[in-house]
Amino acid sequence: MVDPLQSTLRIAGSGLEAQSVRLRIISENIANAESTGDTPGADPYVRQTISFDNVLDRSINAPLVRVRTIGRDDAPFKIEHDPGNPAADSGGFVKLPNVDVLTELADMREANRTYEANLQVAKQSAELLGMTVSLLKDA
Amino acid sequence: MSQPYVLQLAAQRTQWLSARDSLIAANIANANTPGFQATDLQPFSAALDNAQVSMVSTNPAHMTPGGDGFAEARVVEAESPETTLSGNSVDVENEMMKIGDVNREYTLATNIKRVIHQMMMSALK
Repeated sequence: MVDPLQSTLRIAGSGLEAQSVRLRIISENIANAESTGDTPGADPYVRQTISFDNVLDRSINAPLVRVRTIGRDDAPFKIEHDPGNPAADSGGFVKLPNVDVLTELADMREANRTYEANLQVAKQSAELLGMTVSLLKDA
Repeated sequence: MSQPYVLQLAAQRTQWLSARDSLIAANIANANTPGFQATDLQPFSAALDNAQVSMVSTNPAHMTPGGDGFAEARVVEAESPETTLSGNSVDVENEMMKIGDVNREYTLATNIKRVIHQMMMSALK
């Protein structure tokens, strides 16, 4: 059986990985918040969504987290009247991405917070392992 | 020679603490997983109460029940103030508090181990 403190490091690592993928998706959404289509009337950038899942790692008998799906948001596009835009259709309407920057920023905060929590767990379990090893020092 | 009782107890305590630590880590890693139920370990005292008292064997043919007298602590559902719409019951703040508790108690147990060891060494040298 694996030492529980070693498996703690593995679990926290999986959490860090999942949250960093989430941060990547959020940054892609924010970067493309104004990306319209190339041709007149074309669809713009579609907001990406992310969902997590827990999988039981049998070698350490603990639930690791992984990214289940990176999906597309079905929310309708924003439509703006801007006849001068290259992506405007015959009526002068432009489809803008269904990205709400405020939502993305709130989501980013949450991802950040969970990332920090996982980091704290990893730090702490490394510290506990160090404590046990240091028992040998003054033997 | 059998270990001093305090040393054995401290070892069981660190075992229990590291098992709890990995459950807390799993809760925090899954803080955003839909449908994840937070878990915790049953208290150390309860795990000790479950332990069997080993019987004295007066005859080599006597069979002893297995284990070193310390039963594995059972995993229970963590108490959680709320479950989110997605069915997740992890409370990150609460889990961070528990991590702090584990850290403090682990320090105590390792220091007790060190002191007992020093005590034995002082008798030897």
